[in-house]
Amino acid sequence: MYAQNQQFMPDEDLAYTVLADLKRVTREYGTAATESVCPSVRQQFTQLLNTTLAMQGELYTAMSQQNMYSAASPALRQEIDKQMKEYQQTQQKTNQFVQQKKSAQSQPSPQAWGYQPAPQWPSYAPQNMGQASQQSHSNAGQHTPGQYM
Amino acid sequence: MNMKPLTAKELEYIADSLSNEDLLIKQCTAGALSCTNPQITQVLMHQAQVHQSQYQALLNCLQQHQSLAPTQPQG
Repeated sequence: MYAQNQQFMPDEDLAYTVLADLKRVTREYGTAATESVCPSVRQQFTQLLNTTLAMQGELYTAMSQQNMYSAASPALRQEIDKQMKEYQQTQQKTNQFVQQKKSAQSQPSPQAWGYQPAPQWPSYAPQNMGQASQQSHSNAGQHTPGQYM
Repeated sequence: MNMKPLTAKELEYIADSLSNEDLLIKQCTAGALSCTNPQITQVLMHQAQVHQSQYQALLNCLQQHQSLAPTQPQG
């Protein structure tokens, strides 16, 4: 162990550099998964994405518990209100657009070409992800080795 | 699992990911040793191991695709 004055870097800077790299690597795994052709490569990148995202969350939680990371200040209620109203209007207009398009085209039969809807979350996630999140909830921030694998 | 030959792009992503994981193994290991905060040290020590297994998974992925790869450029 280094003495306080011989440290390579202050603890928070050191943890922050790892956190920044985890964020960058998470984005890269997401891009890699979307651009994969081979299904097994895509699955591999998806799994690496989930695990890296979990590690980023774990390190962030540890840092905020040690007061090494100050979260941004909360958004004001009126700001949330403004965005909510704006996008409720957008949603209404879009719904009208969808209805108009659907009624103009009278015989839509999506089953004709064997369309299979994508499964809903969480069936995208690997089997063990559900367990991992349950574990981290029940441990309330306690670090559990091997919780990703 | 359905396996297709690796594209040049997939190979680049896998190689970049290997170098990212390698950097994280070293960062977490060196960081855990120089860190004075016990909770951060524990997290970094554990994550160094996870990055090692991610590195191995990427290497395995390359190995699995070796036999599918052509030896001549394909038109």
